[in-house]
Amino acid sequence: MPLYICNAKAGAVPEEAKAKIADDVTRIHCEVTDAPPTHVHVFHFADGPMPPLGDKSVMLYGQIRHGRTDAQKADTVAQMTASVIEHTGLSQDAIHVFTTDTPASWVMEGGDVLPEPGEEEEWLARQNAKMSQKA
Amino acid sequence: MTACMCVVQEGQISAESEAALRGDMTVFANQHFGYPPQFNWVVVAKGNGFTAAKPSNSVIISMRADRSLPLSEREPLLPELGDIWINRTGLTGNEVVTVITDPPA
Repeated sequence: MPLYICNAKAGAVPEEAKAKIADDVTRIHCEVTDAPPTHVHVFHFADGPMPPLGDKSVMLYGQIRHGRTDAQKADTVAQMTASVIEHTGLSQDAIHVFTTDTPASWVMEGGDVLPEPGEEEEWLARQNAKMSQKA
Repeated sequence: MTACMCVVQEGQISAESEAALRGDMTVFANQHFGYPPQFNWVVVAKGNGFTAAKPSNSVIISMRADRSLPLSEREPLLPELGDIWINRTGLTGNEVVTVITDPPA
């Protein structure tokens, strides 16, 4: 978590753009939220069922941890929209980017329930300690 | 009916493993929520999944509970669901994301 799903009309996101969009989405999420990139997932689908495309060519949907501010969410959406425009050549009207909040306590990743806002440092230290033990 | 979405990477889970996972998760859902899950099995095509901006080997398992769960009840269920996947697939805890959601309000 976060999980970003990029659903697009077939051919709307060129193959070579997928990794670039994933790079940008990961970087933007981490820069805006200070989250580590380790747990940022970006999955692309062509004509997938979710999120429904409606009249859009690309829908980029982020399921993010509850606790981000409205300003962080707006910044994320604006920067990710710009990334999709840059890498697909589509107009802004053809793209919709949005996020929804998921409570931290609903999600387990890396063997630990995600931290509540403000408890990230301790959680990351625990995760890093686990990684060090495995290395 | 409990909804369960499983997002996996193409070529990651054999048909045999998928059948075993579905069986184990049905037992899990029956035991904890009293209903068998309705599965939505989603495969991410090769070259389309990224974790930490690198090709992904992650699975996301999201099961809906039959009721709003307090943390004390949800917390032990998350690793139990994750262990089903770790034991059946050989994936590591870092590659298995488990989510147990409340039903829609």
